[in-house]
Amino acid sequence: MESRILKPILAVYVALFILFLYGPFVVLTILSFQQGPEGGPQFPIVEWSTYWYRHIFGLTEASRVAPLPIGTSMVRSLTLAFMTMVTSTVLGVMSAQAFRNKFKGSDFVFYLIVLGMITPGLLTGLGVALVSRNIFNVDRHWWSTAFVSHVVYTFPFAFLVMLAILNRFDASVEEASWSLGVSPIRTFRKVTFPLVFPGVLSSMLFAFTLSYDEFSRTLLSSNEQTLPLAIYGTFAVEIHPNLFAFGVLTTLFSFSLLAVYAILMALSVRRAKKVAIQEEIA
Amino acid sequence: MTAAAHIFRLDSVSKRYGETVALDNINLSVDRNEYVSLLGPSGFGKTVLLRTIAGFEAPDEGRIEVNGVDVSSLPAHKRGIGFVFQNFALFPHLTVADNIGFGLANRDVPAGKDEIATRVNDIIKLVGLEGLAARGVGQISGGQKQRVALARTLITEPKLILLDEPLGALDANLRGRMRNELRAIRERLGVTFLHVTGSETEALAMGDRIIVLDHGHIAQFDIPDTVYSAPATPNVAKFLNRYNVFDGSVSGTSFKTEYGDLAFTQKTKSDRPAYAVRYDRVAVDADESAGKGPSVPASFVASEYLGSSIMYFFEAMGGKVIEVEHHLSNGAPKTFDTEKSYRLRWKPEDAIVFG
Repeated sequence: MESRILKPILAVYVALFILFLYGPFVVLTILSFQQGPEGGPQFPIVEWSTYWYRHIFGLTEASRVAPLPIGTSMVRSLTLAFMTMVTSTVLGVMSAQAFRNKFKGSDFVFYLIVLGMITPGLLTGLGVALVSRNIFNVDRHWWSTAFVSHVVYTFPFAFLVMLAILNRFDASVEEASWSLGVSPIRTFRKVTFPLVFPGVLSSMLFAFTLSYDEFSRTLLSSNEQTLPLAIYGTFAVEIHPNLFAFGVLTTLFSFSLLAVYAILMALSVRRAKKVAIQEEIA
Repeated sequence: MTAAAHIFRLDSVSKRYGETVALDNINLSVDRNEYVSLLGPSGFGKTVLLRTIAGFEAPDEGRIEVNGVDVSSLPAHKRGIGFVFQNFALFPHLTVADNIGFGLANRDVPAGKDEIATRVNDIIKLVGLEGLAARGVGQISGGQKQRVALARTLITEPKLILLDEPLGALDANLRGRMRNELRAIRERLGVTFLHVTGSETEALAMGDRIIVLDHGHIAQFDIPDTVYSAPATPNVAKFLNRYNVFDGSVSGTSFKTEYGDLAFTQKTKSDRPAYAVRYDRVAVDADESAGKGPSVPASFVASEYLGSSIMYFFEAMGGKVIEVEHHLSNGAPKTFDTEKSYRLRWKPEDAIVFG
């Protein structure tokens, strides 16, 4: 009875959700196959072509449309995302580990960390730039100030993921390891870390993707352009379908990252599941 | 190696959690090569005591000595004490063989690969896990897990192994078998076991000596026979689950209770007066008159068949349950009527009186 009303509503809701999630991407994809270099970023499709894909890689003859200025900015973004991922995940694992034992002021520190993900990005970026300039006398760069603002932003995500994982972690396996004469450091490496590895993977994914398309914090804290800044910069001139083609390529790249994550996750979950199922039988 | 006879000694060890006193000035010394059962209801500090000895918890006061060495400030991995957990705490990401070899492979001075392989093989034979070495620990049964947990500890050759209700997770059949195996292994390897259990039968069956823990202090530490037949306090009698315990007060050679005055012959010193009589020393009489000797009027409630004996449950005034055990070797079971009243009688010399 209830579901007769609720189910259709939910179905419409889900349909809309999917439409808004993938709709733009579908439109983008279609337009990226527009004819070039005359074809504009709008319907109708004059003629189907892969011109704009070739244009990105400089495989077309010179025309009035300048190549996308993304080469160096993409390398920057990838490097920055990687640095952020490693730093935030290491910090996240370590701080979540610290929170397993209640310490004095742990509640306060918890909110202090989590604040990093809700402070307004533009202001954080500005603040980092100002502080580094005026107090530490450090210039704005993607690898200095922007890196710091990215870590401040992504670290809480990594921290929360690890906290959730460690909360469910049965500490008696660690004690068992100690009682066998194994030092706490080695115990962490050989027992704790392998068991919380799915969480570490999730933290890494969060940190990487958040950093990779971070815009507002980077805008004022980096002197050079990262990929999102470079793309935004092209809007100011004129939009051509080569931007859409590039959008398609980066999205495919993100999907492949997700696929790698899913495979790694499946491998480690399958092992865990095998254990769980067997336990149920026993 | 010191010449000390004891394998470990606790010296005025106390531990509090906020207002709760978990361990209250514990003094304890256990000999080498001894099997000690630690009995007490849950929440009375058994596990805390074990975890404190192992070094997982730090005592608030007191000294812990293992093998003649003060280990009070040593971290757990430097104490050389084995610990078998109630949930076994096997490493889920490792195989049976890797679980067992874990300690040898990962200590500060790891053993060589060949040595580990040989010793893992030996211990697998000892605990009877042949053919399971390559299995994941999720692919073996509860009893096998228990053996892996034990083998993993035994291989590091501790002189003291702490067992935290290791049989609690097993079914009754398996529990009996593991009980025998534990004793056999202990006799072969010459280690001391300190075995925490909430089951009085297990404690009595396995321990060379039994420690009874009551609200964080040691109520009695003695051989099973003495603990069983001469409990030191009313609570020990209660934990043994073999005694009817009555509250009241001592007056001369009788004990005043709300069920009447009960006679007795000898008295144990205690700060709480109580009158205890073993289940199997109580006889049921259809004649309701008071008669001679200690007795209590009661009505029959139910019975429970235990195989070698029958438990009868009677209810005295105020809903007090009195249990009577009838060994079947002493004759066929009797039937009682729930409508009728009976008189429960025993000999005054069978009573244990505290006061």
